[in-house]
Amino acid sequence: MKLEDFGTFVIFAAIYAASTLGLPKLLFLAYHIEIGVIPTAFVAIFGLPAVFGLTLGQFIAGIGFQVTPIAMLSPAISFIGLVVVYYSRKFNTFAGCIVYIVITSLWLSYMLPIVSGTPPAVAAYSAFAGQSIAVIVGYIGYILVVRRISQRTTETAPKH
Amino acid sequence: MENAAEASHHTGQYENSIWPALIAFATGLAAVGFFFLMKGVMLVAGLMLVSASALILGGFLYSDTRNWSSALSRLGRIPKDTLVGAFPVDINLTIQIIIMTELLLFGGAFAMYFAIREQVPFWPPPGTPILDDLIARAQTLILISSSILVEWAVYQLKHGRMRAFKAGLIGTTILGALFPILQFGVEWPHLILNNILTPATNFFGATFYLLTGIHGAHVLVGVIAYCYTDIRALMGQYSPKNHGFVEATSTYWHFVHIIWLFLFALMWQGGRVV
Repeated sequence: MKLEDFGTFVIFAAIYAASTLGLPKLLFLAYHIEIGVIPTAFVAIFGLPAVFGLTLGQFIAGIGFQVTPIAMLSPAISFIGLVVVYYSRKFNTFAGCIVYIVITSLWLSYMLPIVSGTPPAVAAYSAFAGQSIAVIVGYIGYILVVRRISQRTTETAPKH
Repeated sequence: MENAAEASHHTGQYENSIWPALIAFATGLAAVGFFFLMKGVMLVAGLMLVSASALILGGFLYSDTRNWSSALSRLGRIPKDTLVGAFPVDINLTIQIIIMTELLLFGGAFAMYFAIREQVPFWPPPGTPILDDLIARAQTLILISSSILVEWAVYQLKHGRMRAFKAGLIGTTILGALFPILQFGVEWPHLILNNILTPATNFFGATFYLLTGIHGAHVLVGVIAYCYTDIRALMGQYSPKNHGFVEATSTYWHFVHIIWLFLFALMWQGGRVV
């Protein structure tokens, strides 16, 4: 990561942390939909600085809540999912997003019953649905941005 | 070429100078000396250390003031779009050293916070008011907006769109200036004058003012740096090939931003290790 990528890194960390800590919670059953998860698909555009930024943002948001050791592992799990999304950009970003949803939902399904005493079935269902909604909303935004970029590239490309 | 040679000569006089090291040493002496004096221990040693520091700084001022008249006369005459006179493009090492130093400072401050937090059975300690985070949220929004805006401005500069660059940079400065205004002009007076939370309230009050104070001072420095960057931008001293100083300022600003996120999480949301 170059020094000039520091801005991207910080902006993504801020988007995750500030939206999680500063915005009202969108509750879905036992799990609140994290607005900070929405930019997940954008790591395919912004690269590793965004991956590290979202991971740090998740860590910062974690220390703002009731901190348990197991909850502090969430950024590491999320990091793995984000790396998958990043590398999937070469063939299919959507597939990467699905893998991200599966990895993080499995983790949350395991963690939520331990941390908050939620029944495992409810935890699994709500985590999967909450993550899916957030990531897919972000993916739609990602598609719109990618189309806009390719449109502008075509407009500005030299005509033969 | 003449301008470049002249500027090179003037900047070259500080090459291999011993003064930066001596000034750093003198600052260290002064800090230890003031510590002794304020604690009322080893008063003579404290006085000697402060005097030694003053002597070194005096020596620097005495030797350097003779250059000031020519430096002042050159101010504003720095040639446009030149690397000599303007800040060099490649200042990665400089800003990395600055960021590392800041990391050590804030690392120490946060270590102090967590050490205190581990000592008390409840955090925040009983009697600590629940802080209204409206201003803190506004400050977070300001920092995010300013970080995005300055990144946009740097992008515009690299693509040669100078008007957009200047507008973005000035916008960042205005947003940045709002942060200390809200902190030192609204929130702190509100908390202290209404006796809601003061440094003497409890450990939380002491760490709150210490950490947000250090951070606020850094934001102020960032705003001053941006004012300076703005002036140079308006004088046309940056170009797509010469943007090192703007990048350095923005990197510092992003760093200040990320520290704020930790403060926002710890001070206003108040997590507790269980």
